[in-house]
Amino acid sequence: MDSYSSSSPPMGASPSPEALMEQIQAQLAEAYAKELIETMREKCFDKCITKPGSSLSSGESSCISRCVDRYLEATGIISRSLFSQQRR
Amino acid sequence: MDPSAANNPELLRFLNEEQQRVMMNEAVAKLTSVCWDKCVTSAPGSKFSPSEYSCLTHCAKRYADMSMLIIRSTQSKK
Repeated sequence: MDSYSSSSPPMGASPSPEALMEQIQAQLAEAYAKELIETMREKCFDKCITKPGSSLSSGESSCISRCVDRYLEATGIISRSLFSQQRR
Repeated sequence: MDPSAANNPELLRFLNEEQQRVMMNEAVAKLTSVCWDKCVTSAPGSKFSPSEYSCLTHCAKRYADMSMLIIRSTQSKK
């Protein structure tokens, strides 16, 4: 995802448009991250914790870290396959 | 929101762009979830197998093809 060039917002009583935009972007990024984490929690629990034991085994822990890596990679693959032809 | 924001063209353009970006992100998130379930059948390894990789690269396009078919067949039944 490409970043906007952001200038630091001036401090004032009512938020400047720039400050508002930064705030909106920060909130959208947070919502996106939350949703992604929630999805990975479900997917990786399904894949890696097949029989919950008294604690996370080292095998489960490493499965989870591989699962998170693969899920992010899958997101990139899907994104490229959707938008590669219609890139502006 | 400050009602004057609605008259700020820069802000309106920004909001439109962000809305598009959110919609694209949502489409990617939805398809990733669907295609993950379809294509990644075993415990995740340190890299995707060739068949998982090719399944993932085709999955989104086929989902789009299917959506068109469903839309067409439901419209022809009206």
